[in-house]
Formats: sequence, C-alpha cells, structure tokens
Amino acid sequence: MQTAPMHSVGTSLNACIKCNICTSYCPVSEVTDSFPGPKYAAPQSERFRDFGHPHYEDAYGPISRPLAVGQMPDASVDYCSGCRVCNEVCPTGVRIAEINARARARIVAAHGLSLRNRLLGRNELLGRVGSIAPAIANFILHNPVSRKLAAALFGVAEKAPLPRWHHETLNRWLARTRAQRLRSERKVVYFHGCATQYYEPYVGMAAILVLEHLGYEVVVPPQNCCGLPMLSNGEFGAAEDHHRRNVDRLAEYVDAGYPVIGTSTSCTLTLKEEAPELLDLERDPGTRALKLATWDIFEWLRERLDQGQLPSDLRPVNQTDQPFILPYHAPCQLRAHRIGKPALDLLAQIPGLDLRESHARCCGIAGTYGYKTEKYQIAMDVGAELFDYVAAQADESDLSSNGSVSLTACDSETCRWQLEHGTGLPSRHPIELLAAAYGLYDLQARRPAAGN
Amino acid sequence: MKRMQTEILVIGGGATGTGVAWDAALRGFRTILVEKRDLTHGTTGRYHGLLHSGARYVLKDADSAVECISENRILRRTHTHCIEDTSGFFVATPEDEDDYPDRFVAACRRLNIPCTEIPAQAALRREPLLNPRISRVFELPDAAADSFLATHATAQAARQAGAKLLPYHELTRLHLSGGDGNRTVTGATVLDTVSGEDLRIDADLVINAAGAWSGQVAALAGVEVKMILGKGVMLATNARLTNTVINRCKMPGDGDILVPIHTVSVIGTTDERVAAPEDLPIEQWEIDLMLTEGDKLVPGLSSSRILRAWAGVRPLYQETQQSGEPTHDSGDSQPQELPEQASPLDSRDATRALALLNHQQRDGVRGLITITGGKWTTFRLMAESAVDAACEQLGVSRPCRTAETAVPGVEQGHYWLGHRLNEVEDEELQSELICECELVTRSMLEGAAQRNPTVTLDDLRRDVRLGMGPCQGGFCTYRAVGILHELRAGDSSPVAAEWNVAHMQSPAHHHRDRSETEVHAAGAELASDPAPDDDSPQRSAAVDPLSAVSQPNLLLRDFLQERWKGVAPILWGQQLRQERLDELIYLSILNADHLPVDDRESPLSSFYRSDSSLSGSGL
Amino acid sequence: MLDLLVIGAGLTGLFAAYTAARAGLRVRVIAHGAGATHWHAGTIDLLGYVQNGEEAVANWAQALPELPPAHPYRLLGVETIATALGEFQRLTAAAGLPYERLDPDKDILASSASEKRTSQKEGPGQQVDQVKLGRNGQLISPVGAARPVYLAPTAQQAGTLHDDRPVAIAGLAGMPDFYPELIAENLQKQGRPARSASLPLRQLTDRRDHSPLQLARLLDQPAAQAQFAEMVVDVTAAGERVGLPAVLGLNAHLRFLTKLHEAIASRDPRTSQPDGGREARLAVFEIPTLPPSVPGLRLDAALRTQLQRLGVRVEIGMEVCAFHASGGRIHWVETETGSRPLRHTARNYLLATGGILGGGIWADRRGRVKETVFDLPLTAPQTRSQWLRPLFLDRRGHPIFQGGVPVDNFLRPLDQAGAPVYDNLWAAGAILAHTDPIRERSREGIAITTGYAAANAVASGQ
Repeated sequence: MQTAPMHSVGTSLNACIKCNICTSYCPVSEVTDSFPGPKYAAPQSERFRDFGHPHYEDAYGPISRPLAVGQMPDASVDYCSGCRVCNEVCPTGVRIAEINARARARIVAAHGLSLRNRLLGRNELLGRVGSIAPAIANFILHNPVSRKLAAALFGVAEKAPLPRWHHETLNRWLARTRAQRLRSERKVVYFHGCATQYYEPYVGMAAILVLEHLGYEVVVPPQNCCGLPMLSNGEFGAAEDHHRRNVDRLAEYVDAGYPVIGTSTSCTLTLKEEAPELLDLERDPGTRALKLATWDIFEWLRERLDQGQLPSDLRPVNQTDQPFILPYHAPCQLRAHRIGKPALDLLAQIPGLDLRESHARCCGIAGTYGYKTEKYQIAMDVGAELFDYVAAQADESDLSSNGSVSLTACDSETCRWQLEHGTGLPSRHPIELLAAAYGLYDLQARRPAAGN
Repeated sequence: MKRMQTEILVIGGGATGTGVAWDAALRGFRTILVEKRDLTHGTTGRYHGLLHSGARYVLKDADSAVECISENRILRRTHTHCIEDTSGFFVATPEDEDDYPDRFVAACRRLNIPCTEIPAQAALRREPLLNPRISRVFELPDAAADSFLATHATAQAARQAGAKLLPYHELTRLHLSGGDGNRTVTGATVLDTVSGEDLRIDADLVINAAGAWSGQVAALAGVEVKMILGKGVMLATNARLTNTVINRCKMPGDGDILVPIHTVSVIGTTDERVAAPEDLPIEQWEIDLMLTEGDKLVPGLSSSRILRAWAGVRPLYQETQQSGEPTHDSGDSQPQELPEQASPLDSRDATRALALLNHQQRDGVRGLITITGGKWTTFRLMAESAVDAACEQLGVSRPCRTAETAVPGVEQGHYWLGHRLNEVEDEELQSELICECELVTRSMLEGAAQRNPTVTLDDLRRDVRLGMGPCQGGFCTYRAVGILHELRAGDSSPVAAEWNVAHMQSPAHHHRDRSETEVHAAGAELASDPAPDDDSPQRSAAVDPLSAVSQPNLLLRDFLQERWKGVAPILWGQQLRQERLDELIYLSILNADHLPVDDRESPLSSFYRSDSSLSGSGL
Repeated sequence: MLDLLVIGAGLTGLFAAYTAARAGLRVRVIAHGAGATHWHAGTIDLLGYVQNGEEAVANWAQALPELPPAHPYRLLGVETIATALGEFQRLTAAAGLPYERLDPDKDILASSASEKRTSQKEGPGQQVDQVKLGRNGQLISPVGAARPVYLAPTAQQAGTLHDDRPVAIAGLAGMPDFYPELIAENLQKQGRPARSASLPLRQLTDRRDHSPLQLARLLDQPAAQAQFAEMVVDVTAAGERVGLPAVLGLNAHLRFLTKLHEAIASRDPRTSQPDGGREARLAVFEIPTLPPSVPGLRLDAALRTQLQRLGVRVEIGMEVCAFHASGGRIHWVETETGSRPLRHTARNYLLATGGILGGGIWADRRGRVKETVFDLPLTAPQTRSQWLRPLFLDRRGHPIFQGGVPVDNFLRPLDQAGAPVYDNLWAAGAILAHTDPIRERSREGIAITTGYAAANAVASGQ
C-alpha cells in the first residue's frame, strides 16, 4: 500500500543512524561554528521543524493553519553551503543537502528573501543586462568603489571572485559562425548555462568544437537559467518557473531522442536531479524525460571513449617537452552526479599531461555561497585544502624541476573562479584542454584556434 | 521505623494521584503522596499523548465524551504549556461505515463538542500524507499532551500548596482498625525501595489512585475492586507524519489514532485484556496490526521507520456488584447493558468514564476511597471527585480550586514542536547537546539529575526526553552516565537554585540557570543558602538524589536494557541497522558487557529484563 | 578493463583493493558512502570472545578450534591470518601509522617506531609459533573496561593493561565524549591503580565544537600543541602514564605524541631511565572515543593514501542498483546516478559491503533478510521471532547478526547446493556468515584477513 506521497528527500531522514560520518567530512562545520554540521542541520533538526513532515512541504508560503506556530525554529541551516559532500559520504543515503535546501526554502517562505539573495539568484538577468554593454558593465561591477558599495549595501563580498562579461555572448558567436557549424544526421543539444552564455562563451565554443569534431551537429535551442541559484537561496517558486520553461523549450529535442549535454556541472545536476527532487516534480513526465536525457559532457564523452568512438588525434597541449602538470579538481557539483570523474578518463588520453587528482572536498564557493559577505571567509577557509593541494603540486614540481604548474582544471565555473582567486593560477574547464589537444582551441587565449 | 502523620495519603504517582495530591493540598489538607517508582512510571507515562475532545466516544460512551470535552477546555487553561494545540481530524476512509459520520456529527452537536466539517482537499493540503481516499473530514479540538511534563507540573503545584510527594516508596501494608462491618483504614506502611527502609504514615484518609494497581491496593484493605486491565500497544515513528491528531471517523477500534507528540507520531492502540498491570508483552501480531491500520490513515506508514513500541495498561473499571455504588454520575446517557461478571468482558467495550468507589458505602470500610477508570484527559476531574468524596467522609466542605488554578509554567503558552530547536539555536547550545536526537543539553540533564531522585536513567528520560530519539540511547547513554558520575564525583558542583519543573524541558532556561548559579556559587554567602523549597521532590532528606550514580555500570546497563525492550519488537530495516551501531558502540568500543559488576541491582533491573517483548521467540 | 571491482570502502574493501593492486591487478573501489573504518576504535581486534564470551580470549590462535567450523577464520587457517596481518602491518608502517602487537615482552616504544620490525618473519611457508603469535593484549575502553585487542597503533600502545605503571586518565573539561572519572573508577574496581584529571579545554580554543574530530584538528596546530603539552605535564605525577582521549591530531599525531612523551619525561627522571635493559616506554596513550573515532579516521586516510599511490581510485557515493549476470558470471554492476544508471565492468567482483550495519544485508518487517547487491543466499533466520534475544547484552549475541553470506574456502559465495553462485564473485568482511564480528570483537581481524584472502584468490585465478 505504498501510494503515499512520502517523498524521497524527506523520508531519507529516516535512514540516519547518527553515525557522524557526514559531520566528519563537512568542510563548513570544520571551519566555523556558525554551521553546526550536517547531522545536526538535516536529519536531527528536521524532526523539530514545525513543517517537519518527512516529505515535501509547501515552499511557496506557510500553510494556513488555525494555529500560530508557523515559525521556523532554526536559522543556522542557512550556513550550509550546499556542497553535498555529506550526501556523498553518508553510508545510509540521507539526502542531507536537499533537506537543508528545503529548510532554507521554508525560512524564505517564513521570513522573506533578502535583495542580495534575490540578486544572486538572478545571474541570468545580470548576465543579460551586462551583456548589452559588457565593457561598461565590467567597469561598473569591478571597480573598487562599486565593490565596496556592493558589500556595504547588499552584502556582496568585496573580494569574492565575480566574473567578467565577455565581449560576445555564446549566442552571438553562434549566429556569427553559423555558416561554419557542422550539419549532421547525428545531433546533440548543448545546454550552455548562464555563465557560458555571458561570461565564458569560450567554454561553450570548446564544447561545440569537440562535439563537432566527433561528427555531431550541435543544436543550441533557446534556454534559460536552470534555476539552481534560486533553489540555493530558497526561492523555490521562481526556480520552478524557470525549470518548467526549460522543460518546455527542450521538449521537442528530448522527445526526438537528442542527448542534452552540458558543460556546467551544476546546471546539468539541476536538470537531472535537483529541480525534480527539490520541487517535487519527479512524477512530471516532461521533467522526467529531460532528467533522463541530460548528460555532463564528459559523462557523454566517456561513453564514446568506451565504445571506441573517440577520435585519437590528441596532441600534447603544452609547447615544451616538459610534462605538463595539471591539478584537476572534480567539483562537488560533479561528484553529486555520482558518475565518477569522467574528465579524468578523457584527460588521461592526452599525451604529455601529468594529471594530478585533487581529493579536496570543496573549493568553498558553493555556487553563490562565497559571494555573501558573512560567508566569504568561510568559503576561503574551506577552499584552503584545495589551494594548498595545488600549491603542493607546484612545490613538488619545482623541486624535481621537470615542469611547473601554470594551470588548474575544474568542471564548474564558480569553482574555477574561486580556484583562480585562491591560487592565483588560471583555471580551465577540462573541455578546453580536450579541445586544445584536438588542436581546435587556443588554451592561452581562450578562443577557437585559427581556422575554427 | 520512621513515622509520619497526614490528613490525606494518596497512593499512586500517575496523573490521577498527582492530581489528587494537588487538589487536596489546594483545599488545605495536609497531604502525602507515595509512588512505588518514579512519577508517571505507570500508565501515565505509557500513553499516546492524545488530549481528547471527547469526539472519539460520542457514539459509544457519552459520559466519557462529556467529561473529555469539559476537561479539555479546563486543561488548556491550567496546563497550557503541557499541551500542543494540534487540533484533530476525524477522517472517514473507504473502509469505514458510510452512515457513521452523520451520526457522529449529530452526537457531537448533542453533546456540545465543536465539530466542523472541512473539505477533504483542504485537509490533504494541511496534512499531505493523509490517505488521499478519505471522503469526509471533521475538525475537532483534539490536542497533544505531554503527560510527563503535565504530571511534574501538577506535582510542583501540589508541593507549592504543601503536599509531600515520595516517589520510590512502595505501599506494603494498609493499617486498619475496628472489627467486621466497622473497619477503618488508619494509615499505611511504605518501603523506601532505594534505601530499603520502612516508613509508617498515619492518615485520616487514604485515596487509592493506583490506576491499574488499584485492585492490589484495595485488596490490602480486604476490599475487592475488580479492574478490567486493557493493554494498549503503541508505536512511535521516527519523525512526525502529521501535525494534526488523526482519528478514524468510526467506532473506536484498534490502531485508529495517530498523535503527533513532540518529534514523533504515535499510532495506537490495541486493547487486550491482561491479568496483571505489569503484564506487558508486545506480540508481533499487535505490531503488524498497528502498521496495517496505520496505513489506512497514512499510506506508507508501515514502511516508515518505527522507533519503538510500548504498552500501557488502561485501568478500566466497570461496577459489577449488585450492592455497589453506581459509577460516577452518568448524566443523560443510556444505561449500560453489562454482561455478567463471569463472562470475560472485552476491555474495548468497558466505559472510559471515571469510577469513584466510596468504600464506606460500598464495603463498609471507612477511610479509603478508590478513584479509577477514566482517561488521562479527565485526571483533574477524577481528582476533584475523589477529594469531594474525601471532604464528605471527613465532614468538611471545601470547594475544589484546581479548575481555576494554573500549574507553574503556563505563562509559556502552548508548546510547539520547534521550541527546543529554537532555544538551542538562540543560545547556541549545539555543542552542549548530550542526547542529540532529542536536543537534551548537559545542563538540562544535570538540572534534572540533581533535583529528582535518579534511580535509573529512565527517570531522566521522563524528565527531559533523554534517549527517546532515533538512536534510542546509542550515544547519550554513555554520555549521561559519564556526566552523572562527574556530578557525583565533584562535590563542589553548583546546584541550581531551584529545580523549576515548569522549565524542565527548556534548554535555554537550564543554560541560563546554570550560568547564574555558577556566578552565585562564586559568592560564599549565597552558596550556603538553603533551598527555598524544603519539600523538594527528593525521596527523603537523608538520601542523596544521585545515590544511584555510585553504581554507574548498573545505570548504563539498566538503561541499555530498558531501551532494548522497546526497540526489540520493531527491529527491522533502518532501526535494526541503528541498533547494530549501538551494539558496536557498547560492545566493540566500550566493552560494556565486560564491565566490573556492581554489587546490587536497582529496583527496576529485573523489570527491564522481565518486561521483554519477544514472546514466542524461543531464544 | 578492470581486473577487480571492489564494492565497499571499509577496512575490508580497502585492504582487499590494496592486496590485489600489489599483486598487479587493475582495481577500483566503489562504495555507497564512506566506510565503516570511521566507526572503529582504530585497533585491530582479532578475536576477543568466543561462544558465551565470559572470559576474554588470551590467545586467538589457540582459540580458533572453539569457533564454528564454517567461521571465516576456520576457513582461512592460522597461517593465512598471520600473513594477512603481516601485510597489514607492512602497509600501515609504510603509511607512517605503524601497528604493533600488544605483547608484554616487547619494548613498545622502540618497536613501534621501527618500520623494519614488522612481522615479516611470520610469512607463509614458515612454521607459525601459535603460542607466541596469538597472544592478545588488553586496552582501556572509554568506559574503563578491558578491551581485548591484537594490534594497536603506536598512540594506543602505552594503554596496555600489561603495563604496571599507574594510570592518570586526563580528559578535557566539557568534552561530551570522554569521562576520565568514570574510566579511572572502573580501572580501580579492576584492581588497577588509576586516577583522573581534568584539563581546561576552554583555554585551548574558543570554538564551541568540542567533538573529538574537531579537537584533533585543533591539535594539529603547533600553538595548541604547546599549550596542551603544558597542561598534560601539569597533571602528570612521577612514574605515571597518561591516558588521553584520542584527539592528538589527524595529520602528524605521532610527532605530537613523541613531543608529549618527551615533555613528561623531561620532568620525570624515572620515565626516561632505562628499565631492566629496556628503552623508555611511552608515557602517553590515546583512548578511542565514540564514532567518529579519530584513530579510525587516521587508518582510513592511511589506506586511501596507499591506494592512491598504487593508482587505485576509490569512488564514494555510488550505490549499486542492478547487475547483469549470465553463464555463472557477473558481467557488470550498475550504480544509481542523478540520471541513468552507471555501468561498471570488471573481470572479477569482490563484495565487501558489510553486514546489517554496513548496509550489505537488509532485514525487512516481514522477516526477509536480503543481501543487497546480488541477492545472494544468506544463512540468517528468515523469521522475525528468531532474530533477537530478550537481553541486549546477551553474550551469545543475536542470531540475526550471525547470519550472512556462506562461502567456500576461497571466499566465493555459495548457493544452497554448496556450489559457487558466480565464478567471478568473492565476498569478504562483515557480510560473511558464521561470524558476529561485533560480538566476537573480531571486526578488524575479519576485515583484514578475509579481504586479503579474497584478493589473493582473485589474483591467483588471473
């Protein structure tokens, strides 16, 4: 008689055996008392939340009850960065990060949303506005005076690594290069995400060039923000609007059997799992179809590799003869896909690459978390483990003097910005490395290689 | 032998006995209460927590229904903080009789119980886990009550009014004077079960409020009181399934109540007639029945994690003697058709109305009154009736004041689920948590331990909910033993100025209390102040409340076994996995089964072992 | 193509992966979550109690005949067990976390510091001296009971009850997981000279989180170490050894342990004096705490580091949801992901998912007990009323926890007819039948020895 809407996230708190493994790994509670840890915040506190049914609760506003007890009892859950390391290590399958995300949504429902968090949840809008005049936007956003103002007025951390608008959005590049794009019977859909569209179109270019190199036509249909920033900030209503629009826009391709491939690990995770689960849309047919069609680009490329379909014309990406040491960090958002680390399998095919796998838990930024003034230092402290790891690779290489670390790689955009901020080294998406190894892409200048 | 003298001696420290002590003391009687174990150790502490609106009984037991709604209104004023105002739904599922709801509504109206029909869709929006196939939903003023806190608050009020309460004092003898037909109860001898000493208490009147044990107490005076003992089995889920009390809209039966109480939902109950009040085996079929019936209210309940099972015994009474007094005034309800005494009576059919037995009129024994039957919801009314009868026997006229007197703590308002978490957050007490599941802090535990007799950790569990969460003592048993041992070892440990029962479940209160005491303890004059309340709930002045802590290994093993007997009947799935981690902690890491053995057992050690619920296991 | 896919990342899975990788196999480990090593006390308990478990086993090698015939130790035999443990000691010594026997005749400080002296002499092919080999030691539990232990890391060595020096148990005031008075009192009840002391924790940190792990992180910092050392020296009397909660750091605890020892020794001439020709014994030891245990975390980290060096990937967060088998062989297993299942293909598979606690076995309300990955036959009673005994601490243990996967001498799971279920599947660790590792105090012993034996069986079949 299992017909109840017992929701997987909520009922997963029943799996907790209090063993503390999650707390042992939580990178946030390690550095601050502000977050008392995943066990406390999720399976423990959830039992005390007024709307603490073990299932999805009304996120759009407090349920009208005849009783005056609509208040959220706790606030420290807001200090969960949502990195999902707890989910990864939990031996019993508690969806800790999702329970916390829902708790945050209830705080927002009860107490409202700050303007700062609303803004941080709207990076698509910011991206679009800034792209009208990128140079001016970059000046306005990045000059020290405005950073101070933003910190004082909105609580956006002054030093946090904000991206820069690119002079050309991905869509404009696509329009400009339409004639050069590959036409093929074999088609894939590319989901670029907001960061690629406005700030890092070259990541999208690299992805498109690689996919075309494999013989696929890349379709880039109109699409919007996946909704993750809103989910992270507890704005579930807006997130659902965004998600449903994407489902509608991509439906014809999904129905036609095209894989939907993304380079942003957080966007693809949202399409696969976060939106369906947090918004209780798992039974929605369109949501489900999109979930099953969505791939991380390296997850998809690994299938090609396993099936012997990967072109073998990979060349070293470094100019010199010395081995190219590349510290690679698989971001939390990618690990949350539970697909392993497919980029490692692909990058391992590139000759001359000395790949170093970071086992750091998190870079700290966790989407929009590290951009908040009260959380900036926590994010930097969390990231120290990764920054130190990168530094150690450099030290090692200096000693053996057979190369140096000039670059790091990471699949997620905000993590790359944080890595650059924390290490002082440039960081690349692994697809940029792969594109460069195929000779399709200029890794230094971050643009298609001449002739592409 | 030590000797005490009083006007009224109350036997039994459950809700009723404590209520009697409160009522009698408020009316100016010198009052002593004795309880053989801890307060609420009996049926009061084994109840599902439903503050009845009375609607459950409207078509079956109108007397009881009327008593319930009236007391429901009173307790919301007198014991506000012991009640969560959850409201209650009566839901008609497809399996229930079609015509019951209409008859139900009419009866509620007739008995003046507020009842509003709400659309099923609205009810499902409020309680999304409810069976979507429910056809009709009625909302009534049911609520959830914390019977531990309520009894302690009543006890505190009784003490403030001058009563003495003696837990861990077991009645061994009632003293009678006079010959046949002219016997009078003149007092009792009780055994201090911790020190092993006898105590003689002379009393003008003894009120037997021993609940399921009432028959045994009356027998000591040579009076026969045939109790109908109805065992009820209940299960608690890992977390709440609903925030509203849910009743099936049908004739009361098994497994048709779901009560949100603190962090859990309780599904109850069965009703099996048993021979003795401590006859509490939990059968596998009873568990299965609760789960099957629970699925009809909340589909999927049976696959949800179950934390624990327990049983309580209803002290039901049905007068069956021809010469006997009628039961309490039954108002306008139809007379009960009762089977002959010889035929076994189904306890489900026995009335839930209270029964007052005036043994002077009934049996020719003066100085003894038995108050029994009833429900937790009607404990105050039962106390009132008993003390009214006492006044009559003692030839005085003093009006009852309990309905207008609030117990300590009502100013806090109704409790709500989030209150502990809210206080832990506000005071940043996360790292002070000892029982992490139920958010019990170190200072709550210390406060409770220093002000109440701590014979077992189970006593502290009833005070502060220690060990009542998912891990069932896995982490906190060890910590609690360690802390109590530390308290006892350090003789200079500051004692909180007042064990304020009203706040016994408040992390913030205890935290502030301790901080203040630490400041006070620094000043020498203040530290030597006598406790303001010389009738503190300690067993006796001579006995240190922490005396049992001198046997820490016993405390540890007793509590592990006490928790085990409640989880063993429901160990499968996640809870079995949890129990295996608890085993790892107590065997692999602590090696607790090879600790040095303490020289004696607690009065409860054998109870924890005997009350095993694995009948038929053959192991 | 992988040679071996290990499912489970506890001590069993990681040590099996290490053994197989050392034998030259291509190995990967997948697991639903972080392994059960996190819950361990960090010692290697080989066999503490048998049968009714009244008295602790003094010599495990001699006690093996008292175990049921199908007990994993009986399947392996003393020599394989000894070899496996030797390999474990080699691994941990190489990782800078040496494990040694708690032999009263041994000089603890000298031997544990030395990598060379790992018990290679007890390798295969040599006659094993069971009397010498099998002797268990006893360490102090966090409640003051005597834990039967076989190998202990250096930091726990000086806690041995063979040592006659009086013990001072020093705790950190307010730490919720350590109670020195209780430990000391129970030691006294057992006739051991012991006393307790309390260190002012609040002077050490302004963090509110006083969990063992957080304190260990704190004590990785030199400033906190210096302050802590001073506190410890202050409460230590001459000739005593000091028992501390296991929080002496995560990254370089042995260095700190030595510093602490030296700080105490410098104040107490007797500690540093040669004693009957021996070198100084450590004056400090750790007592493990409730999960998560710092010694367990150190062991997990050491194993993972060694595996990384061998190029073995350990992928956590992967729950097996399906598998494909035909012709008596497993062809692949699938793990659930955010979208489609992920396929893992290997020539051989090792099931190291643990028992009921680890998640390898699931028991439902209807009395069905199930192996969660391959639905293998189990020995567990399939009736709820047969699972448990009325007393929690019944020394015979609960029947449900003795049930598991029956295997042959090569640790291949067997069907009802006694034949291997699959040609390329092995099982090891707490999932095995005829053992209750928690009751027996054999958790780590079962993990290491069966993990080793299974990996060797796989390797020798290549």
